[in-house]
Order: sequence, then C-alpha cells, then structure tokens
Amino acid sequence: MAEPEPRFEQIYDAHVVPIFRFVYARVGNRPDAEDITAQVFMRAVEQLDVKRPPAQIAAWLYRVAQNAVADYWRSFYRLPQVELELVAPGWEPSNPLADPHAEADADGAKAAVARLLKRLPSRYARVLELRFLQRLSVAETADQLGITRGNAKVLQYRALRKAAILVQTDD
Amino acid sequence: MTDERAEVFSRYVAALLDGQRPSPDDIADDEALTARLAAEMAAAGLPEVTSPDPAFIEQLRLRMRDADQGIAAVSSLPIPGIGRVRLSRRDLLRGGVGAAIGLAAGGAAVALLRDPTIREAFVDPGRALAPKGEWMAVARLADLPAGAVLRFSTAAFEGFLVNDEGEIRALSSVCTHMGCTLAYRPERNDLRCPCHGASFDLYGHLANGSDQWSRAGGYDGDVQAYPIQLPPLVRPQVKVVGDSVLVLTPRA
Repeated sequence: MAEPEPRFEQIYDAHVVPIFRFVYARVGNRPDAEDITAQVFMRAVEQLDVKRPPAQIAAWLYRVAQNAVADYWRSFYRLPQVELELVAPGWEPSNPLADPHAEADADGAKAAVARLLKRLPSRYARVLELRFLQRLSVAETADQLGITRGNAKVLQYRALRKAAILVQTDD
Repeated sequence: MTDERAEVFSRYVAALLDGQRPSPDDIADDEALTARLAAEMAAAGLPEVTSPDPAFIEQLRLRMRDADQGIAAVSSLPIPGIGRVRLSRRDLLRGGVGAAIGLAAGGAAVALLRDPTIREAFVDPGRALAPKGEWMAVARLADLPAGAVLRFSTAAFEGFLVNDEGEIRALSSVCTHMGCTLAYRPERNDLRCPCHGASFDLYGHLANGSDQWSRAGGYDGDVQAYPIQLPPLVRPQVKVVGDSVLVLTPRA
C-alpha cells in the first residue's frame, strides 16, 4: 500500500475542527454536522487539488461545506431556495483563514441572536431566551412565565415563526 | 391548528436542544425556514463553541486514508488484455465519492468499474469484453438454498450472494452513496445502509428513493424517501461449477 499524501492529512488536521463548527452552526445538531463534515472531506479526497495555495484550499472547503449545508436543507426540509444565512453570518470569501473565521462565526451568531431577540415582542424574546440561551425545558420555561406547558409550546412556536419572518425580510 | 403545529414543532426543538438529530418529518413545508432558524439558534445559544468528537475525527481520518491508499493501489493495477491502467485519481473517482471508499471496503473491483467498457463487461454477463478477472469460489451451493442471502469476500471484493428462486446473483456490499457497508435485512429482504438509510433491492437498485415513493406510496418502515438517486450496486458475474459458486472479480 502506498503512503497517503501527507499534505492531504495536513489539510485535514488544519481544517476539520473549523469546518465541523461551521457546519454545526448551520444545522444545530451533532449527528447531521458529522455527516456533512464527512461529505466535505470525502469530496476533498476526490476533487481537491492539494497543490493549491492554502487560502484557496480553505476557500474551497468552505464553499463545499456551504453547498452541503444548503443541500441538507433542500433535501431533507424541502427548503425551496438556497437562502443564505439566517442567524449565522455568511462566509466571506475574502476572509478564508480557517481558525479565526470559526471564532468570528460563533461570536457573530451569538450577536445576531441577541439582535434578533431585541426586535421581537418581549414575551416572544423571553420564551426564546429561556429555551435557547438558558436551555430550560418546556416545563421550566412555562413555570418561569407562569403559563401552562401547552401555552409555552404555542408561544415558542409563534416566537420562532415571527423571528423567521424578521430575519427573512431583513435584506 | 396552531396548537397542533406548536406541539409537533416543540418536539423538533426539544431534539435540537437535547443534541439529537431532529426528524425532518415533523416539519411542514412552510416551516422549513423556521426550523432552520431554530437549528441555528440552538447552535448559537450554546455557552461554548461545539467541537467535533475526537473519535469522529479519527474515524473520518481513517476513511480518507483508506480512500487515498485504495486510489494509489489501483492506479497502477495491470489488467491483462487491456494494458496497464493509467488513470488519474480524478478519472477513477469520477462518478461518486462512493467509489473512493469502495476501494477500501470492496477492493479494486469498484475502481475498475469506473471504466465504462470494463463496467459493462462486469455488470452485464456475456459481454465479449470480459476482463481477465479471476473466478473465485466464494460459497458452496449447498449453503445457498432458495431465498438465502450470504455475505462473501475475496481479497478484492466484498458482496452478497442471493439465491432468488434458483437464480443466483452477486451484489457488491458497498453503498454507492458514501461507501458504507450494507447489511441484509431479512424482514425487508433488502440491503440497508447504516449510514444514511439507503435501501437496495436484491437486484441492486435503490429501493426507497422518491420514484419508489410515488409509485408504491412509500417504503415499509421508512418515514421519508431517500433524498437523492443513487447508482445501482455493482453486480459481478456469477457461475456455478459443481457444488461451488464462483464470482468473477478482478485480481487483488
């Protein structure tokens, strides 16, 4: 058996964590993030020219990751068009440095959520804060708000619907 | 109506917040963007950036290394009668990532099958251009009664033998999506991929794709159609000599 191209594994080591984080921020769960990350790197084995300059390699990986995420939403959720980012900021091709990008990405998403909550009616903002930021259960959230669990679920649903409309009509 | 949707959507959100894979089936078409917002908020709301599991990183590294090595090994494989195969990594792999991993899992056969002439010869019994592969005895006929499905492996190939009412077929056990190894499910009589849930019938065709969905109204046990079309499984030639079942595979 021939040795694998060492450069390929160097690329993998440099990028697997930031690419995983990039994907995770856009699918919100580990199993799907692992599947998509695997797709990106298996495709890299197939298609990526390892002799490219590092910045181009990073750009290539992020572009493939972004497309894979779009495919995920289109295939499994029938999301009709490729909407770019909602909360997570879009990837900037002019800033393809992987590691700083991942941190900025996470901070950007947190800030975007904070901004989004400010624009929602206060009860909507509150239910989302309790569930998504404080990670309280539905029951705990209902207790905090002094409402039934059923009402907490309805409030959560309406808040998310409203928030989705807000981010959609942003631009 | 809102109550009902709120209840269903709450399950979706709960799965996300528990760190589980949520089910897309809970989501109506007009809720897709809302689901996506919830997924992004679930990630952004975590106190720390989520890192990949180290075991996942190592498993993926091994898969990629296998794929890369398989490619290197096959690029220089001599095929008598056709001459030395000089294919680039890209040529070998054109047509799917599955082949890359298939190289590792199923040996050289999958890679050779990238070449259309070789592919025809292999998949279609009786073609004149049969490559000088090797007939390998992989099972005793006595072990393969009607209705049986058996795993077999040679140095260069892994697959299943099927006795379909006396007709014996061989199928690759490598999923044509990403190269995971298929498992036979007697209760469904199909070959199921553990990675993303593709099912293949015992002729090697994707059985739970969207065409099946519209024709038969679904696939028993699945809640949604497999979202993409996949090429059929590789089917090497089979013959029975005496009590032995032989499969034509490339030399290892």
